[in-house]
Amino acid sequence: MPETHSDDPIQSRSFTVPLLVSVFLLLLTVAWSLYDEFYGLRPWRSYQHEFAKVYAQYLNNQIPRQQNREKLIRESAEYKKLDEQVRAAEEAARPRLREIGKESDYIDRRLAALTDRFQEARGKVTALVYTMELYPVGTNSRKSKFAEVEQAKKEIYAVELPTPDGRVETKKFVYDQLEAEFNNLKARKAQLVAEQGEVLRPPKELREQRDNYFKEKMEGLTADQLKGLLNAAEHLDISIRQINVNPTDPGINNFGSGGLVDRCQSCHLGTDPKLVPLAMTLIKADLGLAKSKDAPFASHPETELLKIHTTEKFGCSPCHGGNGRALDSVRRAHGRYEHWLWPLYYAENYQAGCQQCHAADMLTEHAPVLNRGKDLYRSRGCIGCHKFEGFDDQSEQILASRQAIRQLEQEKKDDELEIPRLNKAADAAPDNETARKLNARATNLTVTISNIDARIEQLEQKTRSLFREEKKVGPSLKEVRMKLLKEWIPYWLGHTHEFRPATKMPQFRLEQDQIQAIAAFIWQSGVPGPALAKQPPGDAGRGKQLFEARGCMACHAVGEGSNVIGGDFAANLSHVGEKAGYDYLVRWVHNPRERTRPFCPFEKRDLGPEDYAKHGLAYVFDLEHSRCPNDGHELQVQQPTVMPSLRLTWEEARDIASYLITLKRKDASYELAPDLDDPRLKERGRALVKNYGCAGCHEISGLEDEPRLGTELTTEGSKPIERLDFARLTEDAKRGVLPDGKESPRGPWYDQKGFFEQKLASPAVYDKDKYKPDPLDRLKMPKPNVTADDINALTTFLLGSVDPQLPQDYMYKPGDARHDVQAGWWIVTKYNCMGCHQVHIGQQSVLQNLPQYQGDNKIKLPPPLIPEGARVDPNWLAHFLDNPAMSKTDLNRNGVRSYLEVRMPTFSFSDDEIQKLVRFFAAASSQAQPYLPPKLEPLTDTERTVARQLFTSPAAPCLKCHATGDPAHDKDATAPNFLLARERLKPAWTLRWILDPARIVPGTAMPSGLFRKEGDHWIFSGPLPPSVQGYAKDHADLLVRYMFQLTPEEQLMLTGRTAATAGSGE
Amino acid sequence: MWGDWHQVWEIVSQPDNVPIVALLFLVPFYVWYACRQAFATDRLIAQLETDPQLAKTHHRKVFPWKAGWDREVHVWPYLMRIEFLAAIIVTIILMVWSITLNAPLEEPANPNLTMNPAKAPWYFLGLQEMLVYFDPWIAGVVMPTLIIIGLMVIPYVDANPLGNGYYTYRQRRFAIWTFLFGFLFLWVIMIVIGTFIRGPGWMWFWPTQTWDHNRLEFAVNRNLDQIVGIDGSWLAHLLPQTLKASSPIIARAIFGIFPLVLYVILAAYLIHLICNLTAFSRKIYKRMTLLQIVTVQVLLVLMLSLPVKILLRLLFRIKYIWVTPWFSI
Repeated sequence: MPETHSDDPIQSRSFTVPLLVSVFLLLLTVAWSLYDEFYGLRPWRSYQHEFAKVYAQYLNNQIPRQQNREKLIRESAEYKKLDEQVRAAEEAARPRLREIGKESDYIDRRLAALTDRFQEARGKVTALVYTMELYPVGTNSRKSKFAEVEQAKKEIYAVELPTPDGRVETKKFVYDQLEAEFNNLKARKAQLVAEQGEVLRPPKELREQRDNYFKEKMEGLTADQLKGLLNAAEHLDISIRQINVNPTDPGINNFGSGGLVDRCQSCHLGTDPKLVPLAMTLIKADLGLAKSKDAPFASHPETELLKIHTTEKFGCSPCHGGNGRALDSVRRAHGRYEHWLWPLYYAENYQAGCQQCHAADMLTEHAPVLNRGKDLYRSRGCIGCHKFEGFDDQSEQILASRQAIRQLEQEKKDDELEIPRLNKAADAAPDNETARKLNARATNLTVTISNIDARIEQLEQKTRSLFREEKKVGPSLKEVRMKLLKEWIPYWLGHTHEFRPATKMPQFRLEQDQIQAIAAFIWQSGVPGPALAKQPPGDAGRGKQLFEARGCMACHAVGEGSNVIGGDFAANLSHVGEKAGYDYLVRWVHNPRERTRPFCPFEKRDLGPEDYAKHGLAYVFDLEHSRCPNDGHELQVQQPTVMPSLRLTWEEARDIASYLITLKRKDASYELAPDLDDPRLKERGRALVKNYGCAGCHEISGLEDEPRLGTELTTEGSKPIERLDFARLTEDAKRGVLPDGKESPRGPWYDQKGFFEQKLASPAVYDKDKYKPDPLDRLKMPKPNVTADDINALTTFLLGSVDPQLPQDYMYKPGDARHDVQAGWWIVTKYNCMGCHQVHIGQQSVLQNLPQYQGDNKIKLPPPLIPEGARVDPNWLAHFLDNPAMSKTDLNRNGVRSYLEVRMPTFSFSDDEIQKLVRFFAAASSQAQPYLPPKLEPLTDTERTVARQLFTSPAAPCLKCHATGDPAHDKDATAPNFLLARERLKPAWTLRWILDPARIVPGTAMPSGLFRKEGDHWIFSGPLPPSVQGYAKDHADLLVRYMFQLTPEEQLMLTGRTAATAGSGE
Repeated sequence: MWGDWHQVWEIVSQPDNVPIVALLFLVPFYVWYACRQAFATDRLIAQLETDPQLAKTHHRKVFPWKAGWDREVHVWPYLMRIEFLAAIIVTIILMVWSITLNAPLEEPANPNLTMNPAKAPWYFLGLQEMLVYFDPWIAGVVMPTLIIIGLMVIPYVDANPLGNGYYTYRQRRFAIWTFLFGFLFLWVIMIVIGTFIRGPGWMWFWPTQTWDHNRLEFAVNRNLDQIVGIDGSWLAHLLPQTLKASSPIIARAIFGIFPLVLYVILAAYLIHLICNLTAFSRKIYKRMTLLQIVTVQVLLVLMLSLPVKILLRLLFRIKYIWVTPWFSI
């Protein structure tokens, strides 16, 4: 060490302090890094420690409670008796078991002594046999080898065998004896084992019985099971818990090439069935953490869903979103950062996760919010502008089939021209062979033409169906001149939501001059007539009754504010009298599908009487007369509304219309609108109507083929955020400032959810601060009439509508009955069947909640359709759906329940829709397809007599409630006519029905308990008429057979008799 | 929108940009620190020059020597202990850095959607910024190659024998200024511009201006020949019939040579002046061979072209000086 000089800065400066400080800091940093390594980057560790603590505490509280419950059960007399039986049976079996044990023990010892010697001998013999087989039969070598085998078999083996009394004896065997002894012992052993099982069976069965009893009585897990869980919790292995899913087809998906790795359970420990079994539910409050915001320990709230979507196959993140691999922070694991494209759905949107695989379903179980979103998308007319895969696209299909028809017709024309040309060429042909060929080609062309005709006809049929299926969200605007008060139109366009607060029509952003132009175009483009028939006034009071009784209120409501009564599927009719013309209303109520002029898609115009007159035809067009007189193509002969015909008489229609016309405010008046006839406004109006896409929801003259105006939304949820134009709000969205200037409670809303929510709440919001002098450049989307809940439902639906990130086989595309159910829901919701009927369990129809159907009036409700598929014959159902009046002539009635005032309407379903509905009901009731009616045994004469007696027995006067077709009697009837049963019902269901109707339709008027079980058959439970007493067979079955073979004559006879007995009884 | 401090914070706080924020402070600090050392050495040299006796005995280069000090000190412990301390401090910094800021990973690449702004890693941002001013061929290939070659030839063109192994300003003025200009002014400043100034659409955003993705900017950059109005009509008279159609192209290519040559002459003369500014530099200049002089001139003329081009672009909106069908400068 050189000598130091105090004044030399290099040598004399001391580094002690900086070194000490640095080393200290380094140590601190090392400690920090270790902490970060174990806890900072692994927050799940702390969660696991905490979970282990609180869960153990919870289990410790639960165990004594469950022990107590168990004790109570074990001390019950029933259990004790069962337990006693078990013990007695065990006692009875014991002596024999002991004997068996002793003998099998002895056999085992003998076998043990014998086996070695036997295997040795067998080895030797089989080896020799093998060697012998190497030589062909007959050779000397074979003979000598054979001699060797014989020799070996004669060899003597001495075996020391134990005897029953415990000594050992030496026995000598040759090979064959040895083998026989060995096999004997084995056989005896097997016999003993079988016998042992036999002896043990009674106690085993009793024990099972006892344990089952215990299981049935026990609520929740047993104390032993809880102790097992407690043990698991107390010795919780603090480690990453991950679910691995390796789909067979990795495809392109966010599983990545390594399959799905979800580590969510590392923090959400309650969802791990090894810790919290599925049979147990755990919520934060159970753990004493009700108020904590950082306790991810609850078990999955919907175990039903988990059973269908097992974590082994689905993991977590495919449904919920989030970054399943990330563990270093809650934010990252939930994927709520810029660079993770599939963030965790917020609680209010979590059903969006269902949509990815259930995109094709109208109704997804367990997902009411998503279903509501889809329903709104369709019913509020979003679909009018925004295409969505799987939703109604009849207009596109009509267009496609029209183009196909045009093409085929062109082909046909060409071929027709070709034929004479070929014939002519054949005449001029130089030789016979050529002529023959040309003629053959001409002949072939005629066949081709007939094929084309067949194909065109097919397409026409399809168009016909499509025309029936095509529905618009709004009413047809072709009829405005007949329907509307002229002055009302501009008012409506400017004050849509004020005039009708619950309307589906959105409010467009329109300037006054635009309103004038649009109204003028609408008014002037309406069809001019033929004028409507002048209708005499009806009785408004009777009309109100009919309105309330016929079922109009299943879809329509009346009343304002909190007094709204009725369904919201269709318009609220409160102010309808202010705008609608009486004559038109009468026609509309009588048959809403009736058009003033039919529309020809080929000529692209509405035909008038003059077109028919040209061809000498009467001006008649309806579903039977639906071909164009000019070109023979299928016409649109109906108004594209979902509103069905209620088959009312003209008089009833007038009454209802008279009532509706009274629905108006007294002071309502609208400014006169003379400009509406100004032809100069028409063109401008047309451009505006095109610009705003009015034709998406309304039928408008000249704009029948308008394409959808908006963006297709099928995969809107996975649109990159950069493609969503937040415009001047971009920076605000990124910084969590809402359009109204307030701070967003959840921080930044620069994501799909934020975009959708703001757009739906106020579609013009992204025009904020934009300079758009031409109003046509502004965002076109009108403000939908939706509540905050609706917005959330629609947002959920859109968020879930993504490019599938999962392999194809994860998509819900069932091939079985479930497919029929899904296909049917599209129709059921389209026509609002659920307004009148209960279609699935737990659903309430609109009518059920109306005041006029409460209490005793419940019997006036339409029938619930939950068991419909099991109840009726599908062929009959198809027939009924096509014609609910069940008659070609008498239309003013219900075909089945003629006694109901509420009317099953005629929907004019297309064949395809009927087919789907029939299959839907069959599938919903788990019925096999196709249905073949069973053959019923014919009745013998005695049986008929017995059946008659039962049928008319005073204890069960069937015909008192069931209709008979006699108007006087049917006045008070509350059930269908028996004559319909043969075609309509399924015998098996009918039997179940008469045995216990309340089980199938709770609250039905049909009495339960008509039969009691005696032995293996059912006996009528009322006092038995004399002739019935001798009848030994099943009474219920007899009645069903009788019902299915009932003839009108028989029924007439019975009614006569019923009257007679009733008379004599009095 | 101005005065947007949130935007500033967002840029500065990005893990990607941390090295550049550090660079903003570290580079000036070390320049200052090196200068301090250099000036101290210069004072020592002055001291020694006045005292030839001392110069004979003195070897230490850092502190002005005082009588009684050792002539030399050992590496161990006097150097090692400082290096050890530095190692500890750097370790601490790196550890804290890596604990607090995770690697800035992004979402899976989407070929249909490029990020905006798409920025190179920070150490390449200077190159990316150069693309604004030059043809990709020049900025992306020629310039980087020349930078590497230039760095490689330094030992071979350096005719100054002084200043090895110690900090000095006076003895290496030319080298220091060249370095400061090339590295600090051109390289670091371009990185800083690329990081803090260039926003969406690679548009120029002043600090505290909001990086608005929807921003539209009106800017027309024109070639010098367009400004002057060269359209080849005059040249067309001189050309044979077959080449008449391409006269604008040829005219442009010929026209561009003139300003370029002018620049080269002016720049070379300026560099020549700088090289001969002081008596000391003249002495060094005389020691250089012709090859060395030419190499230095070529490299420096090219280096100087970068700021010249930047100024032309930013001030006069000139896109290219010399336009040929194959490349443009």
